[in-house]
Amino acid sequence: MKIIVFIEQIVSTQVKLKGVDYFDSSRVSEDDLVINPSSKNALEGALKLKDQLGAEVTAVCVRGLKPNKALREAIAMGCTDAIEIADETIYTDDPLLLAKIYVETLGQIGEFDLVFLGVEEQSTGSYAIGAMLSEKLGLPSVLYAEEIEVIDSGYKVGHVLEGGRKIVAMPSKGVISCSDSQYFTPRYTSMRGILTAKRAEIPKWTAADLGLSSSVVGKEAASLIEVSFSNIVLEKESYIIKEGEPEEKVENLLAKLKEDEIKLGA
Amino acid sequence: MVKTLVFGQVREDIIEENTLGVLNKLTEISGISEVIVALFGHQIKDEWISELGKHGASRVVSVKAPELEVYLSRPYVKAMLEVIEKTEPKLVIAAGTVYGEDLIPRLAVHHGVSCAQRINDITIVGDELHFHTPVRDDQAMKVTRIEGAIKFATSRSGAFFVNENPTGGSPNVESFDVSFSEEDMLVKHIEIKKAERTVNLKDAKVIVAGGRGVGGKEQFQIIRELAEILGGEIGATRACTDVHWIEETYEIGQTGQSVSPDIYIAAGISGAPQHVSGIKAKTLIAINTDEGAAIFNFADYGIVGDLHVILPILKQKLQG
Ligand SMILES: Cc1cc2nc3c(=O)[nH]c(=O)nc-3n(C[C@H](O)[C@H](O)[C@H](O)COP(=O)(O)OP(=O)(O)OC[C@H]3O[C@@H](n4cnc5c(N)ncnc54)[C@H](O)[C@@H]3O)c2cc1C
Repeated sequence: MKIIVFIEQIVSTQVKLKGVDYFDSSRVSEDDLVINPSSKNALEGALKLKDQLGAEVTAVCVRGLKPNKALREAIAMGCTDAIEIADETIYTDDPLLLAKIYVETLGQIGEFDLVFLGVEEQSTGSYAIGAMLSEKLGLPSVLYAEEIEVIDSGYKVGHVLEGGRKIVAMPSKGVISCSDSQYFTPRYTSMRGILTAKRAEIPKWTAADLGLSSSVVGKEAASLIEVSFSNIVLEKESYIIKEGEPEEKVENLLAKLKEDEIKLGA
Repeated sequence: MVKTLVFGQVREDIIEENTLGVLNKLTEISGISEVIVALFGHQIKDEWISELGKHGASRVVSVKAPELEVYLSRPYVKAMLEVIEKTEPKLVIAAGTVYGEDLIPRLAVHHGVSCAQRINDITIVGDELHFHTPVRDDQAMKVTRIEGAIKFATSRSGAFFVNENPTGGSPNVESFDVSFSEEDMLVKHIEIKKAERTVNLKDAKVIVAGGRGVGGKEQFQIIRELAEILGGEIGATRACTDVHWIEETYEIGQTGQSVSPDIYIAAGISGAPQHVSGIKAKTLIAINTDEGAAIFNFADYGIVGDLHVILPILKQKLQG
């Protein structure tokens, strides 16, 4: 059994860059780069099945400034191997182009059973890649999964739904996007995993290796076109108390609420 | 003029409110010429059609089939593609529910274009549609346009208000059949586990809500105590109801309850868009150990600190 996990590397949300600056790669260093927490949920989903069924799990990273770092962490978590797709001509802000790259990557990998992705995309904010990928592959899929159970015919998957949770059955070949439910809570890297990751050879594929020219995956091929990108100016500043002993912080808050004539109780 | 097709969604036997919000938004845009709604199901009720009409739909196209009783990607994509072919819209839009966000990107793929998800505004500039999507915890706004003859988009949950006094008329109704094969039904519906809604938080004036940062079932006690002192209700994120730290009824957000209290205290909550989209509070107060947590971008007041230290002090001061 083979599972492919598409992961994304993002700038940590801990990094204190506001608004559009957050997306300015010249302002970040390698230390600021982390695996998207949502991609970690996807890795966990695949690794759980690996533990259970003995699958081979390959992590693939197309998006990120230093994909190699993210992929080593994925191996340290327990992935069998990893592939880096790195090419400056690839435009990753259009989910359809990304889905195209994923399809070609899967074609190059060959046989596979399941594809896992996270639900949230920090970089594009498109929330569309899982759906687009499964549609392009013509494979069944379950998006926003919260739990997976192995059954004879494939998998029983519970997914997020307004007002509750929906349970469906899907065949053993398909696409699953994972939410941050308890089931997908990512495991930590192990000491052994870290050593394996250090030694791992991670192949690097370019768009040309995938048979894709920049006219197919470059910015000129995008159909989602950015018109503008700007900071939202807030009408009022929020009053966030960072300094002081806990007691002082609470007193500070209560005094400010009183000054602003805001009553806490009903 | 932009002819628009809306994916009509029904939840718990009524038209889902974000769908009504989308309709109301469309009626406010002067360049939108005709609003058509596609309605699918095993049964199509007259009340749904008249509700859609009241909120601005001029035409309802329905497809009835047992395979469409519950949303599943394949049969719904198939039916919707046929409606698109028949109605020839310039814009296809769905409310950004779990189903809407599943459907729209798939339709876009079939038309060879991308889509804009989770928009909170649409504008028409010249003869172009512009889609506005807030990103990075609502700190920045991305405006995009889509190439291609048909544009595909979803709204962000809670983005558009539902008009309380809609004045629309009765829409033209047409229906047609779509046939499905076994290939279309590879993913099979088993059941919907409905969260029990025993407490209505809609009218609560004060809500003290806890998130994963609360840390456990017993630790929720401080949330309950504070809510009681303030004469309010408790609330929680899906992360907490998922692990049964607290009853499902208290989930707030896109898939939980929508609330509009005067005071919302968010403790140990990161501020995921799906959670904050359910909150329209006059005053939001956040307590979180992580200064960079998204919730502080939505908060009016906040304390960076451990909720298990801060809340007991707050409780004591309020009692004293
Ligand atoms: C389609 C879809 C729909 C969804 N609908 C909803 C919904 O309706 N409602 C909902 O809530 N979620 C919903 N979710 C889930 C949502 O995406 C988030 O996963 C969830 O809201 C996160 O909950 P949280 O903030 O409690 O947890 P986390 O994101 O894990 O945040 C915990 C926070 O607690 C802080 N913290 C930790 N310890 C402490 C401490 N001692 N003191 C103070 N702070 C502390 C941390 O810094 C962190 O910011 C949905 C997801 C999907 C995919």
